[in-house]
Amino acid sequence: MENKEYDVIVIGAGNAGLVSALTLQKKGKKVLLLEKGRVVGGLASSFIRGRFEFDTSLHQLCEFGTKEDSDAVYDLFSRLEIIDKVSVETLPEAFAVYTLDHKEKYVMPVGKDAFLLKMEEYVPGSTKSMEEFFSLCEETKDALSYLNESKGHPETEVLMEKYPRFMVVAPYSIEKVLKKIDMPLKAQEILCSYWSYLGSPASKLSFIHYASMVYSYITKGPVIFKKSSHAISLLLSEEFVKNGGTLKCLTGVKEILTQNNEVIGVVTDSNEKFLTRHILANLSPNVVYGQLIQNDFVPDKAKSLTNLRNFGARGVSVYLGLNKTMKELGLENSTYFVYHSLDSDREFKRMHDVFSGNLAATLKNTSPDTSSLVLTSLIFGDAFDKLVTKENYFEIKEKLAESLVSSFEKATGMNIHDAIEEIEVATPVTFARYTGHPEGVIYGYLATSHDNLLPRIMNEENEVFIKGLRFCGGFGSRLSGYSSTYINGEMEALKTLGEMENERV
Amino acid sequence: MKEFKIGMNAKLDMLKFKNLGEEREKEIEKSASTSVKDSSLTNTLAGILHPKGIKVQVSHIVKETEDTKSFYLKPVKLESMPPFLAGQYVTLAVTIDGRTYKRPYSISSSPNSLEMYRITVKKEKNGIVSTYLFHECEVGSTFNLLGPFGHFTYQPLRDSKDVVFLAGGSGITPFMAFLQNQKFLEKIHSLTLFYGAKSEFDLIFKKEIDEICSKNKKIKVIYVLSEQKRSDYAYGFIDEEKILQVGVENKSFFVSGPIKMYFSLNEIFKKLDIPNKFIRHEIFREVPEDLVEQNFQLTIKMNDKTLTIPCNGKETLLQSMEKGRVKTLAHCTVGECGFCRSKLLSGEVKTEDSCVREADKEAHYIHPCVTYPLSDVTIEVPIK
Repeated sequence: MENKEYDVIVIGAGNAGLVSALTLQKKGKKVLLLEKGRVVGGLASSFIRGRFEFDTSLHQLCEFGTKEDSDAVYDLFSRLEIIDKVSVETLPEAFAVYTLDHKEKYVMPVGKDAFLLKMEEYVPGSTKSMEEFFSLCEETKDALSYLNESKGHPETEVLMEKYPRFMVVAPYSIEKVLKKIDMPLKAQEILCSYWSYLGSPASKLSFIHYASMVYSYITKGPVIFKKSSHAISLLLSEEFVKNGGTLKCLTGVKEILTQNNEVIGVVTDSNEKFLTRHILANLSPNVVYGQLIQNDFVPDKAKSLTNLRNFGARGVSVYLGLNKTMKELGLENSTYFVYHSLDSDREFKRMHDVFSGNLAATLKNTSPDTSSLVLTSLIFGDAFDKLVTKENYFEIKEKLAESLVSSFEKATGMNIHDAIEEIEVATPVTFARYTGHPEGVIYGYLATSHDNLLPRIMNEENEVFIKGLRFCGGFGSRLSGYSSTYINGEMEALKTLGEMENERV
Repeated sequence: MKEFKIGMNAKLDMLKFKNLGEEREKEIEKSASTSVKDSSLTNTLAGILHPKGIKVQVSHIVKETEDTKSFYLKPVKLESMPPFLAGQYVTLAVTIDGRTYKRPYSISSSPNSLEMYRITVKKEKNGIVSTYLFHECEVGSTFNLLGPFGHFTYQPLRDSKDVVFLAGGSGITPFMAFLQNQKFLEKIHSLTLFYGAKSEFDLIFKKEIDEICSKNKKIKVIYVLSEQKRSDYAYGFIDEEKILQVGVENKSFFVSGPIKMYFSLNEIFKKLDIPNKFIRHEIFREVPEDLVEQNFQLTIKMNDKTLTIPCNGKETLLQSMEKGRVKTLAHCTVGECGFCRSKLLSGEVKTEDSCVREADKEAHYIHPCVTYPLSDVTIEVPIK
């Protein structure tokens, strides 16, 4: 008979779920990882159409680096002892950004010096403020590691002494800080091209959140997994099992059991009961508090917080297998942003429409004579819900694909249509189907004012509303994104471990 | 260090930093503690478009030819069947003598009418399921249906507006959904349907097709009979000469029929230098020629238990599992969909892996529906 009690149950084998499960298992805990899908990875997956394998969602991974100059994810994979099995490719440039309204094009390289030089070329006189920006980034990075190490209890004196400028800029938006350091507007706009990766306009996005990401992309270079994100998800799950962990796919959780506001176990959708005092939920608090725990047992404050939060971006992705190489297509960049303008407030507003035409794209050669292009457009608010019915769904899907492809062609001036050999389209409905996230949200909660990175991290310990229940992943304290969710998986695992140790004392 | 400030002065900024958490607290206090919203219309729509399984009942049966019958399937509980794209298929789960078999069938009815789906089944020699459906299945019988699935669909971004359908025998079924789909017909400029069968009596849906063609000038149909000469039909097989007569330049070809037809057409496409993007195939399974009849043991590790059943070198692991009364996850049964993805823990197999992810290949994942044992085999499947 199987012993149905576990030290920790991780619900959902997304990036954070996988990392946290492996971390805890390696620390000698008995871990059960439950995944409702057939395959692990959540959004970090891949699928095949014809002779192409498409990554479901990764544009590029940041915070990676190299062996000699490693960043957070590299270090994490080293600690998990999987780094030797991970093969990545560092992309040659940071990004190419195009505007549809003014036909602008800026291509930004990797490397701080090259980035500064290029920016000076595009925006003469920008160097001084750009240097100041980078120096703020460095202090921010150090301060954030200190905050992480302090496990939510930083000493104000240390912060004030060692990271004074961080403390000053931390509460403000990236836009406000860049203005303050007198960065020319055009340079601000180019630098903020990545805003859509974090799903909030520059005026709302916290400086430290944006700065940490941009700093990593520019100094370490964006990387992609050579085989696919699925390869990493599979690797994490196989390591977890090799270390003695129990993984059950096709096993959803129907109920989280609590007693006196403490976690005591879960019931699966096939009515199996597993006991535990610690749950790491790699899914949305909306589903946990709204579906998995009986309403009477959900503390009011948990409901208030969840009701307060706004969902982040939904997404539409068009996956194209092309029968031409990048060179034959006349396209040399790997990462593209296409916006109507570089004014992120205006574009954020525009993207409350389903057919904004704004997009992010990744292009790579997949064989000596083929390439793949993935176009992703974000949708904010409930526009998609309002537009789509079961009657018009397929038509809308076609129109979305058409609109993204023509927007990309318009921006770059290159023909994509004629090279399309395979095409697949994912909409919020697709993401809802595979993740179960409310509204098919892919970016967790909107990163804005009280729900930005710092307030989430600072209040995290006060927001463990039910003892033993923690959240990890894109809805968690490190927000959405590949590197964030990997890192957050380990953070939450260590906090859970800490709780266990305290119990023993 | 010079004082760095954003607002009035650095001290106020520091205070603002410290207050970040408190401000969040205040917002929470103001927020309502009503029950939490866990889904939206998008989630509902995902459920409608991709149900986990649909219980259907046979509402009527039509004998189309000597060896084909159409089954009209209506939902037992749902108000209507899920929307689908012309060219997609469903998987029928048929239980015979306590064994459940899954078989994919193209939907041959119109995407515009969702009161029921029509599937059309050809009686195959030694076909357990088709024989059962042909002789045993009655009006009122119920089944579990999976899907709709499949990528044998028209994509305006990829496909030409001049389309050629190449159908052989019961391979006509997915094209019936296209022919009845007004939205598809509006998108294209021209459509030529080649429909090959042994004799005029083997042409399924001929009356329906002729009626549709008579109403739409875009559509041209060429019947090709291989075992009967008639002055008003083409004779022989769908070959290079016949295809060249309608022209191949910038046309999209959709092929659905027996495997032999795929092979001969692929040769022709290659010779005529037709790019991959203009050739679409309905799903099919190629049975390797060098299979050896030999008995082995198949051990299946599931979430909670382990089973061992007999298997045979001439049968896929999926077929052995069906025979051995093991629950399977199969949908397409031809290696494409990946639903039956299993990890090969030990043993030698012959398998088809063109639809297996790169990383999965390296980690020895297989699709049991296209895998034949060459020794005793152990696989791991995530079922209960």
